[in-house]
Amino acid sequence: MSGAKSSRKVYSSVPDKLFDVFNILFMIGLMIFTLYPFLNMFALSFNDANDSIRGGIYIWPREWTWANYQYILNESSIFHATFISAARTIIGTLVSVFCTAMLAYTISRQDYVLKKFVTIAFIFTMYFNGGLIPNYLLTKELGLLNNFWVYIIPGIIGVFNMIVVRSFIEGLPEGIMESARIDGAGEFTTFMKIVLPLTVPALATVSLFVAVSQWNSWFDVFLYNSSRLELSTLQYELMKILSTSNTAASSGGTAADAFAGAQGNVTSVTPTSIRATMTIVASLPIIIVYPFLQKYFVQGMTVGGVKG
Amino acid sequence: MGKHTGQTVTATATGNSRIGTFFKQLSKQKMLMLMSLPFLIWVFIFKYVPLWGWTIAFQKFRPARDLFNQEWVGLKNFKMLFQEEAFYRVLRNTLVMSSINLVLGFITAIVLAILLNELRSILFKRTVQTISYLPHFISWVVAANIVQTALAPEGIINVLMLKFNLIDQPILWLGKGEYFWGILGATEVWKNVGWNTIIYLAAITTIDPSQYEAAEIDGASRLQRILHITLPGMKSVIVILLIMNLGHILESGFEPQYLLGNGMNVDYSENLDIFVLKYGMNMGNYGLATAAGMFKTVVSFIFLMVANNVAKRLGESRLY
Amino acid sequence: MTTKKWLKTGLAVAMASVLVITGCGNNNNAGTNDKEAANSGNNAEENTAPVTFTYFGFGSGKDVLASDTTIGKILQEQTGVDWKMEFAVGDVATKSGVMIAGGDYPDVIIPEGEIDKLIDAEAFIPLNDLIEEHAPNIKRVYGDYMDKFTAEDGNIYILPFSANQGYISDPNVSQGAFWMQRRVLKEFGYPEVKTLDQYFDLIEQYQAKYPSVDGKDTIGFITFAGVADNFFTITNAPMHLAGSPNDGDTIIDMETHEANIYATSEYEKEWLQSLNELNSKGLFDPETFTANKDQYLAKLTSGRVLGYFNYGWQVGDATNNLKTAGNDDYRYVGLPVVFDENTKDQYIDPPAFVNNRGIGISVSAKDPVRIIKYFDNLLTEENQTLVQWGEEGVTYSVDENGRYVMSDEQIANRNDNEFKRSYGFQYFEYSWPRYGNNSVLENGNSYAVGNQPEVAYAGYTEGDRAILDAYGAKTFAGMFAEPDDRPWYPAWSINKAQGSPEQIYAQKAGDLQQKYYPKMVFASAAEFEKVWNEYLAEFDKLDVAGYEEFVTKHVKERVAGNW
Repeated sequence: MSGAKSSRKVYSSVPDKLFDVFNILFMIGLMIFTLYPFLNMFALSFNDANDSIRGGIYIWPREWTWANYQYILNESSIFHATFISAARTIIGTLVSVFCTAMLAYTISRQDYVLKKFVTIAFIFTMYFNGGLIPNYLLTKELGLLNNFWVYIIPGIIGVFNMIVVRSFIEGLPEGIMESARIDGAGEFTTFMKIVLPLTVPALATVSLFVAVSQWNSWFDVFLYNSSRLELSTLQYELMKILSTSNTAASSGGTAADAFAGAQGNVTSVTPTSIRATMTIVASLPIIIVYPFLQKYFVQGMTVGGVKG
Repeated sequence: MGKHTGQTVTATATGNSRIGTFFKQLSKQKMLMLMSLPFLIWVFIFKYVPLWGWTIAFQKFRPARDLFNQEWVGLKNFKMLFQEEAFYRVLRNTLVMSSINLVLGFITAIVLAILLNELRSILFKRTVQTISYLPHFISWVVAANIVQTALAPEGIINVLMLKFNLIDQPILWLGKGEYFWGILGATEVWKNVGWNTIIYLAAITTIDPSQYEAAEIDGASRLQRILHITLPGMKSVIVILLIMNLGHILESGFEPQYLLGNGMNVDYSENLDIFVLKYGMNMGNYGLATAAGMFKTVVSFIFLMVANNVAKRLGESRLY
Repeated sequence: MTTKKWLKTGLAVAMASVLVITGCGNNNNAGTNDKEAANSGNNAEENTAPVTFTYFGFGSGKDVLASDTTIGKILQEQTGVDWKMEFAVGDVATKSGVMIAGGDYPDVIIPEGEIDKLIDAEAFIPLNDLIEEHAPNIKRVYGDYMDKFTAEDGNIYILPFSANQGYISDPNVSQGAFWMQRRVLKEFGYPEVKTLDQYFDLIEQYQAKYPSVDGKDTIGFITFAGVADNFFTITNAPMHLAGSPNDGDTIIDMETHEANIYATSEYEKEWLQSLNELNSKGLFDPETFTANKDQYLAKLTSGRVLGYFNYGWQVGDATNNLKTAGNDDYRYVGLPVVFDENTKDQYIDPPAFVNNRGIGISVSAKDPVRIIKYFDNLLTEENQTLVQWGEEGVTYSVDENGRYVMSDEQIANRNDNEFKRSYGFQYFEYSWPRYGNNSVLENGNSYAVGNQPEVAYAGYTEGDRAILDAYGAKTFAGMFAEPDDRPWYPAWSINKAQGSPEQIYAQKAGDLQQKYYPKMVFASAAEFEKVWNEYLAEFDKLDVAGYEEFVTKHVKERVAGNW
């Protein structure tokens, strides 16, 4: 929210007040709709798995239990995996955002001779893909298999993010760059000292996108690092737990599952309850961190009021 | 939006000097090059090199053999794609679902961003924001489950509609193909609207607050302020996003259609990705999957270029 | 500036931690490499030096080191071999594709449904010589079946899981059946329910008498067809009703061994008409076509469903749940329902051999001889008893007649997934070279715990015994007819090559049925004929004859002994 608003004296007319009331009611309604799935996950994660099969769990558990959480947290691999997830998120976000922003800066410079070439070269990549196998083989050739850096390097530039940052840079007042240049600043210095600080909302946005993407990804672990437990991430470990809880009773299944089913197995957890618990465990860190990021979204263009 | 005044390249009489000036400029921009060339190399290696995979579209590909030992089948995979009756139906579904998501997605996210911006209490605003994007973190499996439960004959939607006498018999929502597109649109909005507002809110922060002050003094109503300050302030971001998303017109999603689809709504729910899964990946037919991928790329480029040109002509900010 | 400082410190910390991570990882790798290098130098006859091989299963399971389980440890003490066992997560098709493209295979692979791709990719080594030279037990166990799983090129690539030694049948109904809620049968004095008409009739009568339970409507009949890969549940029914076991999408003639698809037959029509009638009477739950797994199981456990059709293994979660809940009236019993009084039901699987599910040694295996010896050791009578029953006195005991029995606690453990994992049953009872499920041990006990009558009886509740008495049967399977011999069985395991016309036919036929079933069931009585004809017309567009020819050919080959 632009800082100036809160210091402004506002004359609230009747339509204004009505609008505000409607707005608040609408927001409350919105929150109910969007909060529900999480409450549902919360309820299911604390409800006894076998009881959940009978359905009817909405926002409050019927039979409280810690069993689902215990089941997940009992996996000793979870803790190291969380560390890896945090590492890749932090490193990946820092590296990617910095590089993406830098690249965005270069293509925002009107006079850069390679500007159009670079821009198009990157934009096109949003719309094509060589395919799973070629990408896998490339990763293998580059020695990135069973390697931590496969989480960082192939994703270093996000084209969408680059465009977003570029838009923000282009929105900066003209004078700022000019005066920096007159003061003798080189491109890199301009980028670091002027552009970065002034595009904080864009950087915060992009950081959020990258961080969430890093935190949630498991497919790359599945493809490239599945044999090295010490490189596994939280999401992938949770996926594994979910996968193994698909016991005999799950649809189709393998011959082994059918055999086990015939033997009459009971489980203390079901895929449903695992999924619910997974959702809570994996999303909680992000939800806790986001409000702290929000303050970066409000630093607006109030720097010295440079115009023209 | 301010644009930087660039240095104009002085035209010289001969072509040679043009090239000369080009290189002179290039050397002056060493720093810019240093800042961008490494990534150019990166994009070449990681994005363009794997394109050799497009040759798979012309083969009966077997992963065990290397590139030179494959069986070439020419255009057979493409023929199979375009001659398949189902292909046109799934193409239609894909385009419709994608368009609905595009329009709904934009409108709802923009409106919500504006409304959020109009909230006075910062605490309330942050709370709403945080809660509104929670569904984004739910996996589609879970989200689809919730939707299916809500839409079941005994689910909340039917219960409420019966209570308010809107219907006298429960409707099997997921059994009626005609409703699928609407259900999908609504589900996508519910899941993503909060998340989509993030970027618009960030855009709004760049609007010079003194404009609002000036408008207040001039006696502009709230609606006028929104229409003449907030929206225009977001315009370039909106246009850019619109162009990018139009390029993705054939990406209508995969998981929601897969999870919510069933035999009764299949005529409306099956999209290109599911079709490719059934006849491509599930049958080990990499060639078909790649051919479909190439088709998607071609269509994407067409939409992208048209959208970008239209934006250029209308004087809006362009993607490139 | 503060931002910059944050950046710098952040990057520094991050870099440091990464060095730690990758450093650690590399050290571990170096360790194992040295050990393996040392071992491969050893070519002693009876090599029991410690070694760890890699095992990858395309089914689901939790990764484990075999020696962390009781059974794994015992086997390690016998052979010196340990296994790093990994299982598939997520999309198996992607995993197999990537594994093949990369060319790095684990030592042994259990391909499950990906077997065609892996065999095509020549991922397995031929086992013929290895078996001949090093594996007397494998020869003993698999001897009679060798032809059935030898590939066309004369090589043996996998050791299947279903080589029965002797035969004992399963006392419980784990395959298909029409299930009825027990209180319905109780209400009407346990009448005979043989035909489909009788079955639906009984449901109708009960529903009329008791339209609701616990304030909610009773549901006449439902089945699980809301998820694409389970649609076979509703489309297989006519095959069973016609008196055939599960041969997939064809019915095989007992004499001529010709295959005919039944999707366009009179049986199919009769089935759909019955459902159509049922629907018009309000006894058919439309959610059959839309419910997902969770919703379906919730309905079954709610006690409202009067009858359903499923394969027992599909709904184990629900039936176990009902059993633990303890209310016998709400539980279900399987009935051998057929169309016509004079048809003999064939719901129980005949002794069968599934030749396309097994375990193979990959081309990347460093010590195939060691591995085949491990397999061989696994197939001794003692070890086969170990992987199914466990240790005497610990997980089972022997009574004075030499029969294996289990206490209630032992049975509970044997069914508890956590216990099974730590003890090792979960990992060793199935996906390894083994006796078939219906095998009998030399001492007369059943190989599989579930088939041992003593164990089965011990698990019966009061309600179970009451129903069995009422129908004069000793086991639930006893209510069904004995299976006839079908040398080709099961036809569904006939291999369809990737991208072949048969595979495409199967996909299209499946799609067609998924689309038309709901239409036909929900049509009005007057329209049914019209929709049925539409359905037939659409089916005509597919190459039915070609498919039937394909299946017939393979059935006949199997009968002749060529698998």
